[in-house]
Amino acid sequence: MMGVASANLQRRARPGRRVVTLSPAQVRWLGALLLATQLPMIAFVPLWIACLGTALVGLRFLLVARSVRRHDPAPETLRSWVLGLLALVTAIAIHQSMGYFVGRDPCVAFLFALIGIKYLETRNARDGTLVVCLACLLIVTPFFYSQSLFAAALAIPPVILLGGALQVLARPDRLPPLPGGWRTPLAVTFKVFAQGIPLAATLFMLFPRIAGPLWGVPADHSANSGLSDHMSPGVISELSLSDAVAFRVDFDGPVPPPWLRYWRGPVLSHFDGREWTMGASKSNGTFTRPDGRPVIYTVTLEPHWKPWLFALDLPGSLPQVASDSDVGMKTDANAMLTRDQQLVARQPVTQPLRYQQTSNLRSAYAAGSGPDLEQETEENLAMPQGPVNTNPRTVAFAHELRGAHPDDLGYINAVLEGFNKKSYYYTLSPPLLGTDPVDGFLFETRRGFCEHYASAFVLLLRAAGIPARVVTGYQGGSINPNGDYMIVRQSDAHAWAEALVDGQWRRFDPTAAIAPSRIQVGLGGSVPDTDPIPMLARLDDSFLKSFQLSWDAINHDWRRNVIGFNFDRQRALWREWKLNVLAPWQVTAIVIAIAATWVGTLLGWLAWRRRRQDRARALYDSMCTRLARAGLPRAAYEGPLSYAARAAARWPEFTGAFGIIGDSYAALRYGPVAAHADTTLERASALWRLKRALNLLPSPAQLRGVPKAVPT
Amino acid sequence: MSASMNAPESTALPASWRTDYLQRLFRHAPADHDPVILRHRRIYILPTKRGIAFLATLAMTLLTSLNYSLSLGFAATFLLAGMVAASLIHTFRNLAGIELRPLAAGETFAGGVMPFTLALVGGATPRYAITLSARGCFPVTADVVPDAALPVALELLTPRRGRIVLGRITLSSDFPMGLWHGWAYVHFPLAGIAFPTPEFAPPPLPPGNAGQDDLSVSRGDHGDLAGLRTYEPGDPLQRVAWKTVARGIGWYTKQFEGGGGGGPVHLDWHALPPNLDPKARIARLTAWVLAAERAARPFALTAPGITLAAGQGRDHRRTALTALALLPEHAK
Repeated sequence: MMGVASANLQRRARPGRRVVTLSPAQVRWLGALLLATQLPMIAFVPLWIACLGTALVGLRFLLVARSVRRHDPAPETLRSWVLGLLALVTAIAIHQSMGYFVGRDPCVAFLFALIGIKYLETRNARDGTLVVCLACLLIVTPFFYSQSLFAAALAIPPVILLGGALQVLARPDRLPPLPGGWRTPLAVTFKVFAQGIPLAATLFMLFPRIAGPLWGVPADHSANSGLSDHMSPGVISELSLSDAVAFRVDFDGPVPPPWLRYWRGPVLSHFDGREWTMGASKSNGTFTRPDGRPVIYTVTLEPHWKPWLFALDLPGSLPQVASDSDVGMKTDANAMLTRDQQLVARQPVTQPLRYQQTSNLRSAYAAGSGPDLEQETEENLAMPQGPVNTNPRTVAFAHELRGAHPDDLGYINAVLEGFNKKSYYYTLSPPLLGTDPVDGFLFETRRGFCEHYASAFVLLLRAAGIPARVVTGYQGGSINPNGDYMIVRQSDAHAWAEALVDGQWRRFDPTAAIAPSRIQVGLGGSVPDTDPIPMLARLDDSFLKSFQLSWDAINHDWRRNVIGFNFDRQRALWREWKLNVLAPWQVTAIVIAIAATWVGTLLGWLAWRRRRQDRARALYDSMCTRLARAGLPRAAYEGPLSYAARAAARWPEFTGAFGIIGDSYAALRYGPVAAHADTTLERASALWRLKRALNLLPSPAQLRGVPKAVPT
Repeated sequence: MSASMNAPESTALPASWRTDYLQRLFRHAPADHDPVILRHRRIYILPTKRGIAFLATLAMTLLTSLNYSLSLGFAATFLLAGMVAASLIHTFRNLAGIELRPLAAGETFAGGVMPFTLALVGGATPRYAITLSARGCFPVTADVVPDAALPVALELLTPRRGRIVLGRITLSSDFPMGLWHGWAYVHFPLAGIAFPTPEFAPPPLPPGNAGQDDLSVSRGDHGDLAGLRTYEPGDPLQRVAWKTVARGIGWYTKQFEGGGGGGPVHLDWHALPPNLDPKARIARLTAWVLAAERAARPFALTAPGITLAAGQGRDHRRTALTALALLPEHAK
């Protein structure tokens, strides 16, 4: 489509106007730029698009090489309509394979392929402009998917090559290429970028960011790592196979012990016999009171495309989305606390999010009262409503056990004891369960991961008339010794239970009854060694693990300071600099002033360097001015030697000085000293002689006073 | 062309002030004196088409970064924006300080190409891809090496005889990135003369004072050898003093007393056949001037407003041709 459009444009080009055909070297530069831009994107587009896009660029390279070999002046391209058709077919294929077209991912994929198609028919300077602009767009697209240090490093080559390609395109075809080959454009680009960095940094810090999206951020179809809003057997054990980081935590003060590190996530109240889902309750909850000192920490949450925010059980405040807490950001707009003590953001977390959080390390909190309590009790007593998955054996067992333990706590302890005493196993790879999965787990397989235990435990409590629910989240986390912060990974995903006993919701972790080491030392120490434990969750120290931890520390800093520099961080920085008291026009004025200073500094520096290069000329010019004031101006045709001779004839007593001036200036400017770079010493000495000789001359007024020599 | 002619009449500004201002902006009048050094007041810079397209692309990446809160997107966008801004300064610096000197205006016959030679002086730093152009000229692009005066010829096609003015020169460059177009106007009072086109196959020269026409121009040694003068390009080969060339003394042209036989010839406008129009008369007189010079015969020229005593040589020929070139259209 694009190809056809530009072909039409070309046909309509005015006859009088010269259409500048690109040289093979220019086409090659554009190709190098495109390959460098495509490289970071390869991982994020479908494989066939990646192959197609890069293959088209490679094909053009071959065509150019062939036309150069044949001394064919016109760069070889394919016919425009073929390429237009190819673009159309690609668009349709993308629609077929991804299921939609108007969205971020298909458009990015199409851009990736389109660049190759456009490049294949790039002939003239206008096509070159279009290719450069498309490449510029593609440079930004990898950041949709990853903003890691690695992604930033991969973006540097295309940015530099973009500058180089612009220079090579700008070189008029009437002139020979710049001396120095391909290095010159790159060297100039480095220089220009270096000079632009102060302005770029100013803009980065002062250009106003916005809090939310301008237009709808489309739901992402690919990313689904992290805890979801439902739990069925196998969900969490599958998640635990991943070493991916869920979030990182910087603690203000001592780190809580492992058995208190319950990071609260989605609370699941509804059970259909197999799958737990979230209840309907979304009303506002009240924060627990602190007993003792609350724990204060900062969470850097990886995007997980779900709205929940994680906090240590139990959250003591709303998350403060700012780097400094004393400014009191108004966060009600961003997040809320539900009645079941869960922190939920208004919008799904699609960027790395950094927030400060306080928690009270308690395992119980008071339930509400009145109609709220009634509704909550009812919701958390509900049994699966058939016809399938009613788990009848579990229910019958619960009734039986309840008869022996009328006391709520006694009953709960009996259930936990049962898990401990009867041979249950804690494993990452439990057997598959059919219908009535809780029955199957409790009475047949007896092997399960935390979601099996939590699910069975809550069902046993509900069957006995005790309101209970499942809480999912993370348990544990390990301190990175390289950065002194905590990493919580997907392998720390966990499910536990809460029961309403004596008007209080109390935390019970059935997993702790079966495998206490899971809570004490984490996954690596609690499941059999034959289980596929992810590398970083293992207990032994390997070289790879320590390397990964160092790398993670660097990445954490990167996240904290570069990627996490969003609307809120920017506002915090502005407050620190007292910029927030200024009106927008004042901030604009400051930016303009900085830009003007930058321009002035750069121009001044460049002029200073130019003048330093030409110190000899400056000295010689000053002599010319002095002699002109003394009544002997230099004629336009006069070189240094003849002018010095004329001056010596006028003022014979300074013949020596004029001789040195003329000779050393001529040597500096036209002699071998001027031509070679390796004559620095000779240059310096010639300059020194020139300077000394100039000092010998008296002032213009005195010179004028010298009577003219009478020619005899 | 006067700039003030284009301005609306109702402007309240004093005319002289406005003219000065427009002159400083556009240099419509040939008021520059040699040499001109480009300073910031003369240099204009605007984005090129590619620059506009690139800035529009940067606006798109900025919007994308804003919408998706891509910190690295901002970083890349601002880095590229910094590059665009810094390249503006490089474009300016590439032009600032350049010295332009007029060297010479050439001469040619109408229909030929008239070269105007100028010198570009870059100073201590190299200048890249400087384009010189003027109306009607094919633009010339060149790099200027440091500490050198680069002669550049702007060639103007001359459609008619008369005084040919080079007009305003535009110095421009898109260096280094092609995102900014910097330019400056320089207007020297530089003019050359386009001689009239000579008549094709003119009748023979009128008889000279000696009473007869000399058809044996090619032999040309009827007259007495008067002496030698320095050879000038265009002198007929028959008149070259080959002996001196062979001896290695130099190139000289033989001159004959009394011309190539017929003696001094009088080229008279009024003596031409009455049915010839002024244009044809000028063409014939031009052809005769050339023929007389070729035959080494002294000639005098009479035309409306022109009275040229008999003479000979390169300067005489040029004076005659210039006078003919500047004759008014409807001379009687």
